[in-house]
Amino acid sequence: MRTITYAQAIKEAIEEEMRRDAAVILYGEDVANFGGIFRITSGLKEQFGEERVFDTPISENAFVGAGVGAALTGLRPIVELQFADFLFTAGDEVVLKAGMWRYGHGGAYKVPLVVRCPSGAAGVGPEHGQCPEAFFMHAPGLRIVCPATPADAKGLLKSAIRDNNPVLYFEHKLLYATKGEVPEDGDYLVPLGKASVRREGDALTLVAISAMVPKALAVADRLAKEGHQIEVIDPRSLNPFDRPAIIESVKKTGKIVVAEESYKTLGVGAEIGAMLMEDALEYLDGPLKRVAIPDVPIPTSTVLERFVIPSEESIYAACRELLN
Amino acid sequence: MDKKLALDIYQKIILSRRLEERVAELIKAGQVGGFMHPGVGQEALQCAAIAALRQDDYLLYAHRGVAYWVARGIPLEKVLCDLAGKEGGTNHGKGGVMRVVYPELGVLGESGTLGGCFPIAAGAGLSVKVKGQDRVVLCFFGDGTSNRGTFHESANFCAVRKLPVVFLCENNGWAVSMPTERSTAVKDIADRAKGYAMPGQVVDGNDVGQVYDAVSEAIARARRGEGPSLVEAKTYRLWGHWIGDPDSYRSREEVEKQWRRDPIPIYERKLSDERVLSEAIKKEIDADARAQIDRAVEFMQKQPYPKPESALEDLYA
Repeated sequence: MRTITYAQAIKEAIEEEMRRDAAVILYGEDVANFGGIFRITSGLKEQFGEERVFDTPISENAFVGAGVGAALTGLRPIVELQFADFLFTAGDEVVLKAGMWRYGHGGAYKVPLVVRCPSGAAGVGPEHGQCPEAFFMHAPGLRIVCPATPADAKGLLKSAIRDNNPVLYFEHKLLYATKGEVPEDGDYLVPLGKASVRREGDALTLVAISAMVPKALAVADRLAKEGHQIEVIDPRSLNPFDRPAIIESVKKTGKIVVAEESYKTLGVGAEIGAMLMEDALEYLDGPLKRVAIPDVPIPTSTVLERFVIPSEESIYAACRELLN
Repeated sequence: MDKKLALDIYQKIILSRRLEERVAELIKAGQVGGFMHPGVGQEALQCAAIAALRQDDYLLYAHRGVAYWVARGIPLEKVLCDLAGKEGGTNHGKGGVMRVVYPELGVLGESGTLGGCFPIAAGAGLSVKVKGQDRVVLCFFGDGTSNRGTFHESANFCAVRKLPVVFLCENNGWAVSMPTERSTAVKDIADRAKGYAMPGQVVDGNDVGQVYDAVSEAIARARRGEGPSLVEAKTYRLWGHWIGDPDSYRSREEVEKQWRRDPIPIYERKLSDERVLSEAIKKEIDADARAQIDRAVEFMQKQPYPKPESALEDLYA
């Protein structure tokens, strides 16, 4: 199979879906003429024309909300936010409109909207570097996906575009250049709500989200050399959330570490912990460990950023504590 | 305006006023809960503007009264069931009377937060343009809401993309207890159109003909693909902000004076002068409105409440 980057996989998914369905449009700040500040969408305006691929003014409330309005009236918009952090700028439109319009109107409309959210710390500081998935896991009505590999980047985006619900698609900035095998099949879909076991093992369950996945796999290699076969689970989507996949793994391992790039308090790991307390307490033979940002904003200087973002070393240390 | 249309608008104004009076009685009697913001005094402009729409156009109404739904032709009993939180309405108890929805007539629903309507209107306009249709979107809002950032972002967005959206401001002088002159830097909200290079026009919102003509012109422009317009209809909220509002922030003299500008007698005099409306027709229209409302109330009272567990439905498609 051919190998492409995560960034190319995102573009390929958009391109294929725009060719397949005339209702799919793409817009956001700098996406058309410039091809997006991360250059994901270059060439799409030339290919699909200015009506379907266009630049917007700096007006996140208007253009995210317009995505909802367009979705209600028969389009399937893909809206690019320049940074995932700008979800807060468009908070009303994301949480109250995209998430609640269908419910509040008794199911009269569907909202097939995708909001692309470049996430993750990359030396860009507190308001451009977050992975804010957990904030939106709390909000009813929003689907949330966070692919970690090029193949998932393609398959999950295609599923998101075809889904009839609003989907927040978190693409991690540090993953854009990573390479992997990606099927060329135009109907290659990764279903929402299905976790992936990245590596099998029975010594410990390590749940890793987004850019934590490659770090988790490196930790698993290191622990294997030390005689511990751990299991690495990538949830891939946080809503719907594949609870059985994690519970099944914990039944086997009895130990769990969650690595995420969110703030620790009420992060994804906190939800997983609560879920295990409810449904799988008897299988745990020790405490759940969370490796997350220690409840401070993400600092800009690389030295400081490295200190707060979960690293291979901090994930390894958390696993080691449970294995000892 | 031809006689048939003039009379049709009159009939809807009367039906709206009578319905709102009945709704107020039902709420005061504790027969329905309901989060009703009455539109008494503003029905003329609401009915006139909606009369200018085509069946396949889109509508985002505001929170002020029942006339939008009456004018658009949504069955009264459905509105009352939504008010009561019962089955038989349009949203199965999920959104109350503030989220009456009717896809068959392009009624997209309502944003719970004021100003949430503007981006949605822009998006519906975007759909129309991308699909190459000639439909338009009529978006109602109040003077207070014109201060939301979403208004300014969406007006600009619609203007740069030439989207077929008509922004209709009902300036009733008050945002709950805040008078427009203290909340809003410009005297005429229509002036804000200049900032977005779109036409902005002030009309007397208690004059059916003026509203109908101005909105029709804005709609025609939008249909031609020339982009959005802003129409400001000056009017007055004759009742409180909600049913039960102590209304202690306005002087009785001010409200009394405004009752003399009640659009209903003004319109009746005009229609009588033009020999469109006789005392007999007037009585007939009023009696017909009351009978329709009686039937709708009876229907609503017989409807069941939704099953409690249906609270878990309608979230995902």
